[in-house]
Amino acid sequence: MARWWNQLQSTVYSRLRWLPELYARALAGDDEELPLPPLASLRRPLAEATVGIITAGGVHLSAQQPFNMEDPDGDASVRIIPSHADLSDLRITHDYYDHSAADRDVNTVFPLERLRELARAGEIGGVAARQVSMMGHLLGAQRRRLVERSAGDIADVFKEDATDLVLATPG
Amino acid sequence: MTVSVVRSMTETWPAPRNVFVRFRLGLVFGEPGNVAQQQTIVRDSLRAAERVTNSGQMIELPYRWRRETYPPPVGIVERVPNTSRRGPD
Repeated sequence: MARWWNQLQSTVYSRLRWLPELYARALAGDDEELPLPPLASLRRPLAEATVGIITAGGVHLSAQQPFNMEDPDGDASVRIIPSHADLSDLRITHDYYDHSAADRDVNTVFPLERLRELARAGEIGGVAARQVSMMGHLLGAQRRRLVERSAGDIADVFKEDATDLVLATPG
Repeated sequence: MTVSVVRSMTETWPAPRNVFVRFRLGLVFGEPGNVAQQQTIVRDSLRAAERVTNSGQMIELPYRWRRETYPPPVGIVERVPNTSRRGPD
């Protein structure tokens, strides 16, 4: 499918709030059930917690390989974004949602600067050393890749960095 | 803590902790450049993590797109314009 067609559909999909709701309901019966993990207890209060972000918005550093838009199943690879990244150095490669606003201010889907501010104000303990970015719209083999490989890699990043709480955001 | 803008998606495939906000894809935390709005959504989402008592629970944030007054932003670093000029030699 041509990229322009995907992008056009995604703009409509993103701007009509009821359309993703309908799409999710249509998918609900067909998809495999994933087990719901038990609730992990929070190790420390928010004002002392190290907070990270994982976004499915296709954000990456300009020097990193963009997500692959040629595979109709998506791209389940992962990009690591350091906490000190310059926001002007971030790009978005993702044809399956309208990211025109996020292109102007990436905090609309990846609120790294907002976390830094809350840390300065003492509302959170700190920002995790590494953030994670991937893309949504994963199907077939790429979805299996996410479940079987990427998910574990992502968990390892936050575990190694002693991250207490992760904000998970769609695109 | 998962921040959702598609309620039915999260109801079908919940994470252990979820918040829902009535914004749209691409604008999950608010308008571009609206620091007060974005901080509020981030702050309230994080605070909601402490309120979830059952795995899969979803807490709805009360905000509408524009009809809100958000608290003033915190933690902003003022950018000081570079006014230094070279003095006489």
